Formats: sequence, structure tokens, C-alpha cells
Amino acid sequence: MSAEAARARAERLAATPFDVVASHSGGFFRGFFRSLADVVGQRELLVLLVRRELKARFKDSSLGFLWTLIRPITLLMIYFVAIGQFLGAARLIPDFAIFVFAGLTLWGLYNEIIVGGTSSIVSNAGLIKKVYLPREIFPLAASGSAVVTFLIQLGILVAAVLLLGQFPLSWNLLYVPVAIAIVLVYGVSLAILLSALNVYLRDVQYLVEVGMLIFFWASPIVYSWSFVVDAAQRTGLTWLTDVYLLNPISTAMLAFQRGIWKAGSESRVLDAVTTVPAQPWPADLDLRLAITFLIGLVLFLVGQRVFSRLQGNFAQEI
Amino acid sequence: MTTVTDAPVVIAVDDVSKRFVIRKEKSLKERIVNFRRSSQHKADFWALDHVGFEIVSGTTIGLLGANGSGKSTLLKVIGGIIRPSSGQVLRRGRVAALLELGAGFHPDLTGRENVFLNAAILGLSRDETEAKFDEIVEFSEISEFIDSQVKFYSSGMYVRLAFAIAVHVDPDILLVDEVLAVGDEQFQKKCMDKIAEFQRDGRTIVFVSHSADQVESLCDRAVVLSHGKLVYDGDTGGAIEALRASF
Repeated sequence: MSAEAARARAERLAATPFDVVASHSGGFFRGFFRSLADVVGQRELLVLLVRRELKARFKDSSLGFLWTLIRPITLLMIYFVAIGQFLGAARLIPDFAIFVFAGLTLWGLYNEIIVGGTSSIVSNAGLIKKVYLPREIFPLAASGSAVVTFLIQLGILVAAVLLLGQFPLSWNLLYVPVAIAIVLVYGVSLAILLSALNVYLRDVQYLVEVGMLIFFWASPIVYSWSFVVDAAQRTGLTWLTDVYLLNPISTAMLAFQRGIWKAGSESRVLDAVTTVPAQPWPADLDLRLAITFLIGLVLFLVGQRVFSRLQGNFAQEI
Repeated sequence: MTTVTDAPVVIAVDDVSKRFVIRKEKSLKERIVNFRRSSQHKADFWALDHVGFEIVSGTTIGLLGANGSGKSTLLKVIGGIIRPSSGQVLRRGRVAALLELGAGFHPDLTGRENVFLNAAILGLSRDETEAKFDEIVEFSEISEFIDSQVKFYSSGMYVRLAFAIAVHVDPDILLVDEVLAVGDEQFQKKCMDKIAEFQRDGRTIVFVSHSADQVESLCDRAVVLSHGKLVYDGDTGGAIEALRASF
């Protein structure tokens, strides 16, 4: 009986085409699409890895998943009190709580993808040394768990907006998915690229921490776009606003706020003496978003190719 | 041993070389400080040097060699874990590696969750895993602990579960790196029986070992490596002489 099984196996194998393990992974574009197809072929595993990340993170804590909410809400309160009230930003930014929470939610997605993604290859060293998998799956799994956390926070943000009766029902709402798409493209591309570099140079993960701190303050999260425009006009250096918008996350953040933060697009009378005008959204925001997204796609392609080049020696270098 | 006439080639190692560059510095500071002299801090090392051979379906082949002869590197190249510097490996069929059991286990997840995760890592779909789940648990003999976290497992239980998963993924090619000595005597016997069953089923087994005795009893062909070069390819009796000569 097993002889028959053996013959059937031999016949099946004789008809199977060969997989090639070679020193290179094919041409630039063909290699890219082959890698993409490999990852898509492993989507069941990807889902399991995302679940593993989420489950394992809070396995033995009694509050469990609530921790993903406690952190951003604490941050929200800190910025609300310290920057909103003490430094007075809330006087010039209507619905300051919504504004800050929107910014923190989108930034949280970007931050978690990049920080989690950068260390993902090194922290899965055990698997990478022993089993062959398309390795892109590890930064992608880290991104996937960040997306789940983000969706929960986004749910809370939308609920808060509804509760406050500020639901931004207009075409501006279309900016929200565009902003998320840009953050995902840049986040995932950088996660893939940095995770590979981190294997060869462990300094990368510390560099990323510092970089994320700088970019947090270089994006309009706890202060609004109008502050940047005012500062540029006061100093006469109006070209600085263009430099500021070169940061893809600044552009995405503005789109996100324009979509979900209704108060930013209308002029508000806060009290008898202060009227806050609408945010001076950049005139060519749509064009900027399109270009930013396209550059992001190129970055994704380049990041994946660099990853693919470096991954051949992961098992040895980790 | 089942010999199938005209057995197809399942693994073709075609002129494979692997060079490792050994760097002596790891941090950015060291690299910048030593930038000018960076070539002094590198050393080339050929772990595999133009190795080529073919394996037909249904063979159990032993890779022998002294420490550092490149046999584990070769196994990793065949498994696709390391990419060769030149040459290529052609292979077909589902490959499962028993390189280090339980590498994919997450200590905080339960045995059940780890079975699904590890089976997916080894290439089973969710439906296939569900169909084989009971068989896996039964083989591992730890059914009462399957819903507790694996960090509470003893090392024996850990390895049993991992081995049970690896042998149930229905591989065409099994890569084994000296892990057969797992668990107690009774479980070891079970493992060896499973290997024998694999051989009868016409699966291909590539087996890395220091132990000439183990290779002689299990394999029907052996390859001996010395300093990255293939020095012998043939039956196991001659392999052992070649291995002794290579030291």
C-alpha cells in the first residue's frame, strides 16, 4: 500500500515544476511582483501572526486590550491640559480635544507600524534562522497589529465626534481614507526597509526612536496648521510652509484633520472678543496628496527591493 | 526502503557557493571610526565551495562532515533559509525542516494556538490543520495540557508537540538537523518509527549528522563535506571512511 503511495508521490513530484533558490531574486520589477505574490500566498499565516502579536501582547495583564486605549487617552489629557490650557493653544483651536485626539490616533498608527516593524525581524530571529518564509511577513504582521489598534481608536474618535454633535458630514470626509492610505504606504515601506537595515546595524532602532520624536513635533498634531502659517508669515519666511509640507505625514495629517475635524473648516466665535477663522488649508492639498501617495508607492517598491537584497543573509547576520 | 524506478529528481544542488563576510564591528560608531580601515575588519570565508549533486525522490541522504565543514549551511541553502552567493538550488514538493523544533512557538500562547501557528509556518492551511489537529495532539501525548500556555510546558513536552506538528505537515522533503534525540526513550522510538514510515512512503529525507552510526543505519546514500568542498558522494560505507579521512 505504501509502495503505491510512494509511486503516486513520485509521479506527482515528477510533474511539479522546480522552485529556484538562487543568489538573486529576479529583475527589479519581476522580483518585486514575485515577492508580493509570495506574501499574498501566505495570507493565512499573516492573519495568524497578527493575532499572535495582539494576543501575546496583553496575555497576562488583567486590563488586557484596554491598555491600547489608556495610553492615547492619557496622552490626550496631558496635551489637553498642558498645551491646550496652560500654553493656551485651545483658545485658538476650536474643539481642541477632537483635534488632538485625531492627530494622536493617526500618529499612533504611523508610530506603531514603524517602531514595531523596525524590530520585527530581529525579534523573530528564532523563526528566521530555522524556517523559510517570505520575510516581509514579519514587518507586515507588526503593521497589521498596529492597524487593529488604530481601528479601535478610530472608532472611539468617531464616537466622540458623534457625541459632541460635530459629525463632519461633507465631501471633506473623503480626505480620511486618503490620509490613512498615505500613512499606511509610508509606514509599511519604512517598516520593511528599516527592519532589514536593523539586522545589520542595531543602531537603527534607536535612531528610529529619536527620529519619531522629531517627526512627532514636525507634524501638526498638538498645534494646528494655522500656527505654522502664522509663524512663517511673522518671520517673513513663507517658503518654510512648503518645506514643512514636504514631510508626508504633515500632509496626511492635514487631510485627516480636514476630514474629521469639522471645526477646522469653519470660522468659530469662541467668546465675545475672539473669533477663530477657518484653518488656512493649503490651496493645492489634493494635488499634494496625490503626489505624496505616488512617491510613497515608489518608496514601497524601493524598500521591498532593498529588503529582498538584504534578506539573503538574515539567517547568518542576526 | 521502497525504490521507485525512474524516481524524479527533487533537489538539484547546482554549483553552489556561499561566502560569508565576517565583520568584526557591529555598531555605527565602530563602523565610522574604522571606516578607512574597514577591509581589515572583514574576513572572507567560503562555507560552501562549488558544491553540486542531485537527490532523487525517496532517498534518505546523510550530510556528513566535521564541525565547520558547511553541512548545516548546505542544509539551510537547500531549505531556502540562506541564499547562495553563486549557483542555485532547484527543488520541488513541500519542504518541512526539523532544524530546531519549536522555533515558531510563542511562549505566551496556548498549545492549541501554537499548533495552528506552527503548522501555518510549515505550510499547512487552516483547514488542513483542523483536519489533522486531533492526530497531532494524540501523537504528542500531551492532550491534557493542550490549552495551557506553552511556557509552562516541560522541555520534553515542548519538543514532543513541535515534533508532532512537523511530521504531520505531510512533507515531500524533510530536512533534519540532529534533532532526533528528543524526549524519553519511548518517544524516541516513536520518532524513529515515524522516520521509517516516511521512508516507506517514498518521502525524501536530508539528514545532517556528526554521527556516522546514525547515518549508516538510516541513510541509503551519504555526502561528505570538508571545508566547504564535496569530498565524497556515494554509499554510506565509503562515506564513513571519507569522513575519517577528512578530519
